[in-house]
Amino acid sequence: MRAQPVEAITRGMSVTTTDSRSAQTAQDRPEASPPPEQDAGQLQAARKRAHRRRSSKNWSLFLLFAGPNILLILAFIYYPLAMNLYFSSLDWRLGAPRAEPVGFANYQRFFTSPSGLEVWRVTGIFTAGAVLGSMILGLLIALVLNKKIPGRTFARTAIFSPYVLSGVGVALVWMFIFDPQRGALMFILDRFGIDSPQWFLDPDANLLMVIVVYVWKNLGYCAVVFLAGLQSIPRDLIESATIDRAGPIRRFFSVVLPLLTPTVFFLLVTNIIFSMTNAFDILRVMTPTGNGTNTIIFEIYLQSFGQFNRAGYSAAIAVVLFFTLFIITAVQLRFVERKVHYQ
Amino acid sequence: MKKQPHINHTWKGIAVFSAAALAITACGPDTTGGDAEEEAADTDWSEVEPADSIVFATNHPGGSEDIEEELIERFTSETGIEVEVITSGANYEETSQWFQTGGGSNADVVVLSDATWFPNYLNDALIPVDDLLEAADIDVNGYVEALYEDYLYEGNHYGVPYARSTPLFYYNVDHYEEAGIDGPPQTWDEVAEISQTLVDEEVAQFGYAFPPSDEYPAWGMANLVWGYGGAWSDEWDFSTVSSDETVEALEFAQSGVEDGWANVAATSQTDDFSSGVASQTIQSTGALNGILETADFEVGTAFLPDGPAAEGETPTGGAGLMLASASSPEEQLASAMFIGHMSSAESQADFSEATGYVPSHQDADMSDVYAENPQFETAVDQLERARVQDYARVFLPGADLELATTLQSLLTTGDDVRTEMERVESEFESLYETDLADEIEG
Repeated sequence: MRAQPVEAITRGMSVTTTDSRSAQTAQDRPEASPPPEQDAGQLQAARKRAHRRRSSKNWSLFLLFAGPNILLILAFIYYPLAMNLYFSSLDWRLGAPRAEPVGFANYQRFFTSPSGLEVWRVTGIFTAGAVLGSMILGLLIALVLNKKIPGRTFARTAIFSPYVLSGVGVALVWMFIFDPQRGALMFILDRFGIDSPQWFLDPDANLLMVIVVYVWKNLGYCAVVFLAGLQSIPRDLIESATIDRAGPIRRFFSVVLPLLTPTVFFLLVTNIIFSMTNAFDILRVMTPTGNGTNTIIFEIYLQSFGQFNRAGYSAAIAVVLFFTLFIITAVQLRFVERKVHYQ
Repeated sequence: MKKQPHINHTWKGIAVFSAAALAITACGPDTTGGDAEEEAADTDWSEVEPADSIVFATNHPGGSEDIEEELIERFTSETGIEVEVITSGANYEETSQWFQTGGGSNADVVVLSDATWFPNYLNDALIPVDDLLEAADIDVNGYVEALYEDYLYEGNHYGVPYARSTPLFYYNVDHYEEAGIDGPPQTWDEVAEISQTLVDEEVAQFGYAFPPSDEYPAWGMANLVWGYGGAWSDEWDFSTVSSDETVEALEFAQSGVEDGWANVAATSQTDDFSSGVASQTIQSTGALNGILETADFEVGTAFLPDGPAAEGETPTGGAGLMLASASSPEEQLASAMFIGHMSSAESQADFSEATGYVPSHQDADMSDVYAENPQFETAVDQLERARVQDYARVFLPGADLELATTLQSLLTTGDDVRTEMERVESEFESLYETDLADEIEG
């Protein structure tokens, strides 16, 4: 919206300049002065030529700077997206030379089969656990790291570092920790006389385990973003609340949290997207058969590459994931953002 | 006049959309509904000269990069045919995905496992090797029969055995001595007895470790099910998976966990056995070297136990060498010579020594290996009892995963075996109808 006035102003200036030049040219050659209709025609033709030159120059510049990026985006995002959309309408085994068009049958199957419903259930639990766990713990850690404590810089680095580690490496380390026969957690639980749950064999324990690992890996990201949000809160507001004898809890809920809502909103959007798409490495390494951890991203893999070879059906689930994230983000932008308090 | 530009834009939009749609559909599979391309007319192989070079796609099973290079050098010096090696993945699954999705479009020979070659056959990506091996003067009678028959479908073989393995019974000799046990069990009833003794004597936490869902339990437990007279399927008949015999076998395994003489390993039965948590287990022959390296006790190996209805048959496993249908006849002939060389008695002896896979050729001289590693002799001798796997596990897409998760669940929760296996049978029927019936029966 802001671009329009600028464009209009620029256009107006250019036209003025062109008119002046035309007028000047006409004054320099009085003996060849054409009739008024001819003058107007020439003026219009000159104006068109100038417009074409400008337009051509703008297009050249646009193609020069934006062209390579647009080509890359078309080739690596929109083309695969369109291909995936097309594949989702086929009954097609991975790599088969032939396929049968089936319309929306793949979608219908996913939304009506018991396994499809189970995928939604697992995805919902994993997303809720991962997002809430990461954000609540991230906020608590950020509150601690925002205070002047010894070793604060080291602590901030240590908290953030798991976020940049390889998910595969993180998963392998945590597998050693969770091992119910030899794992570190087993020894800790044993100290308290508690038997280690069968983390890898029980589907519910499997899901809890991968949520814990995902939260551990991701909470550094939330903590750092929350920390940035906390440090942008004006000190005078906190001090005023303190002078008004508001306690720490009251200050947090009445001053800090409302001013953190833009950060909360940002993290909510990004965490939901990340947890639904980026958790695959942890899920694949810790639970290779997806026993109890078959989220929608894992199901896409399982259906296409994990024995089933159903490329068409898998493509349909990928489309469902795309639109699910699209709708969730749109809803958040439309409704949740209204409640966000910007300073 | 005003509408003209609008119409132009509309038509331009339609044209761009149509062009995009055409571009997309042109890149996908054929959806015209036409019949499959007819097989190429029989080639007169006596008229074909082998190509000068071929491409070999392999995931170097069992860390075989060096030995493969050595065998290839020998082949090139004997025949003059150059072999370009492509690393096609970290495992069999990745290799198959790579081959299926077009990455291996220039591969002439590809390593595919028993569980991954069939989808490639259905995709018309493989050719039968029988005529080609004959043309290349390769004697197939030397192969261990069950290992070669793994690649038999509809009267044709689609590969030769290469990196092959079978399950093997492993036991902790130190634990046996401590508990006063003389020798390994001959039957599954003896497995139960010995395991109970080991637990009662507090020699180990568990007498026997069953595999978890990601360690191919349907492969490792096939011997138990066959021993009771059951099966995962009888070709495309899936009723055997819920037969009385199969149910009885699985109830036996379930009772082992309930009674405490057995467990389901949390991550891998190899880890539980090597660390002494469990005194016995069944694992691939390919795991032997790893177990010997990590175990700090004497490791014993034995044939898989007999069941009440049959002697201890061992399911085949591992990978074979397949030929790509997209290659030219010259390349296919050269490739046939190559797979014959890689699966020869001499090559298989060297390959087996370097990797731990069992030799797929009966004439392979393994005396050097036996001298250094006597446990390996059991694995090779056991090949006499090798049995081709059931269709459901290796040919039906998704069935192995269904069996794996069901078996783990049965052993850890105590669910009713018959009810669960009837559900599995129904699931198999559904998978077959959805993914295979049209092509198998059509």
